[in-house]
Amino acid sequence: MIRVIAWNELHRRLRDRSVLIGCLAAPLLMAAVLGLSFAGGASATPVHIGVSGASPQMLTAALDASQLPKNVTVTTLPSQQSVKNAVASGTLDGGVAVLPSQLRLHTLLIPIVDPGATHTPGFDVVTKGTSPLGEEYAESVAAGISSVMYASRVPHMEATEAADPATVAVNSEEVGHGGKVNLNFFAPNIAVVFLFIGSGLGMRSLLMERSAGTLARITAAPVRPTQIVLGKLLAIFLTGMATIFVIWAVTTYGFGADWGNLLGVLLMAIGATAAMCGIGVFLTSLAKTEQQAFGITLLVGLFLALVGGNLLPSGSLPDAFQVIALGTPNGWALVGFGRLDQLGEPASSIIGPFVILLIIAVVAGGLAMTRVRRMVEP
Amino acid sequence: MEQAMLRCEDLRKSYGDREAVKGVTFAIAERECYGLLGPNGAGKTTTISMLCGLILPDQGEVTVDGFAGGTLEAKAVVGYVPQDLALYPDLSAVENLTFFGQLYGLGGKELQGRIGETLELVGLADRGKDRIGTYSGGMKRRANMAAGLLHRPKLLVLDEPTVGVDPQSRNSILETVGRLGIAVLYTTHYMEEAARLCDRIGIIDDGRLIAEGTAESLIGTHGGKDKVHLSCDEASLDVLSAACLELHNVHNVHEHEGNLELTTDHGPAVLSAVVAVATKHGVDLTGVEVRTPNLEDVFLTLTGKELRD
Repeated sequence: MIRVIAWNELHRRLRDRSVLIGCLAAPLLMAAVLGLSFAGGASATPVHIGVSGASPQMLTAALDASQLPKNVTVTTLPSQQSVKNAVASGTLDGGVAVLPSQLRLHTLLIPIVDPGATHTPGFDVVTKGTSPLGEEYAESVAAGISSVMYASRVPHMEATEAADPATVAVNSEEVGHGGKVNLNFFAPNIAVVFLFIGSGLGMRSLLMERSAGTLARITAAPVRPTQIVLGKLLAIFLTGMATIFVIWAVTTYGFGADWGNLLGVLLMAIGATAAMCGIGVFLTSLAKTEQQAFGITLLVGLFLALVGGNLLPSGSLPDAFQVIALGTPNGWALVGFGRLDQLGEPASSIIGPFVILLIIAVVAGGLAMTRVRRMVEP
Repeated sequence: MEQAMLRCEDLRKSYGDREAVKGVTFAIAERECYGLLGPNGAGKTTTISMLCGLILPDQGEVTVDGFAGGTLEAKAVVGYVPQDLALYPDLSAVENLTFFGQLYGLGGKELQGRIGETLELVGLADRGKDRIGTYSGGMKRRANMAAGLLHRPKLLVLDEPTVGVDPQSRNSILETVGRLGIAVLYTTHYMEEAARLCDRIGIIDDGRLIAEGTAESLIGTHGGKDKVHLSCDEASLDVLSAACLELHNVHNVHEHEGNLELTTDHGPAVLSAVVAVATKHGVDLTGVEVRTPNLEDVFLTLTGKELRD
């Protein structure tokens, strides 16, 4: 019966083309825009980045993870002030000062979740408004350092002052395709946003069915309320998976993005879809009308995207928001995808984010089930 | 009633402070067509929502074919045709019926066969593959009914199925219901439909079932006498009134807005005598109307208000 209800949902959404628009056309368009924006070829202009507070060994590992293009030169500097002076004078296009005394294990996640965070505790990303590329690569270096530190779990051991300035070799395997790093990051990032919007809009269908009278007809049939709700959820989950698959396929095969380990990507897709569906459906269940559902989905979606790091650097937001980022499903989805595509880690590395996403899915989905059942129960 | 297909006992339902249904009790036998007649807001839809398991009664019991109301077993034998069009406009009639048939456990060739038969029954066999959204209002109503009939229910519940329907489709719906041969609960505020279709009628008002019986018995008990309305020039009213009062079977004559209203047991039989006395007294009748009581009068008598109020 669940399959019958799910298929009816998909059938109708295919017929009215909302699935084609939401799960195929829009993701396709977005993936194409991302691909053309980030994978169309990197600038050949030399970019100089300075780093203080990190040993050359750790920095080398961090730059391997960051996969910066060949035109980026990274130099170690003795202090935070020297980085600031060099950036201010124009000698450097951007810089990163690692501040070991302020580093905490949990804050290391922030640059990974949100590479745009410029005021993360423990890191000072020094930028100059006239060099957006310098800012971008400095953020990438910070994210790379953070991920290496987090992976080692011993930041205080690795973060040591460098005595003399030195230039660190940059892994140049991705010469000419530096934008892929960004594409790798933004592709799953955007997919997660689509998942949330799609799940919220998908559950509006139940409200529409209620106002159209078809829900009454379904509940008059020998069908359990739980079957009705699970059928709807299954349809939303499948459309979410289709959305993420489209974005993965287009960015991977169309623009050469590398999302990382396939099994890991599949698990993250399942976890992220389930969590975002759970949250989206729960929020929709709070609404009494389709208009309310749309408003709530939009409002919360924007909020999550902002604090979770999908739209704006959370580092530009208050500290409290940066902590909230790690409590959002999209934030954890980005952590998982980031480990796969940014750090090239194996599937086992995303077990933590995957489990957290499943917990979010179960809790939010359970709450949603309780509320949605009220719509269909006598 | 020994073999009741539907039995409702003291059904009550409130929404906040408003008591929508206030202790409704009735039963429907197998193959009986029962009409629930009442104005908008009388409690008809709330009552059938409880019968179909869509809402839980605050009090009272429902039994459908021996099963407790609202259970999956009870729902399986009920065909529910809601007042509003409860079909997906983007899907064809066949696709709609396929989905709703599957909800009742139908599938494969059996389902396809049932869909063909049901569309034939409601006169939509040639439009089955067209989207519901392209149908006329009457066709939509017939398709709506088909979805309730597909699984061959033992009890069909029709909630005002002819509201806003053109006369031709309305007639088609009534004919279809008339030849089903299953127990039918038919709610309407059209007294003609209730009188035409239903073996028995329950009159509901303000959440209470205030009378029940065949149309004839209700009219006989609560409908009052036949009325004959006469119009003539004002100067002749007194003469004609006195003459009519002398006639056999005329119980009462009163003047109303320049006309006379005679109350009689049998209006058509009195009419010829009225014409005769008018001629005899030289009164020129300008208008004559015989009105026999109907369910509208029954409702007026019982509630003091019009059925369509």
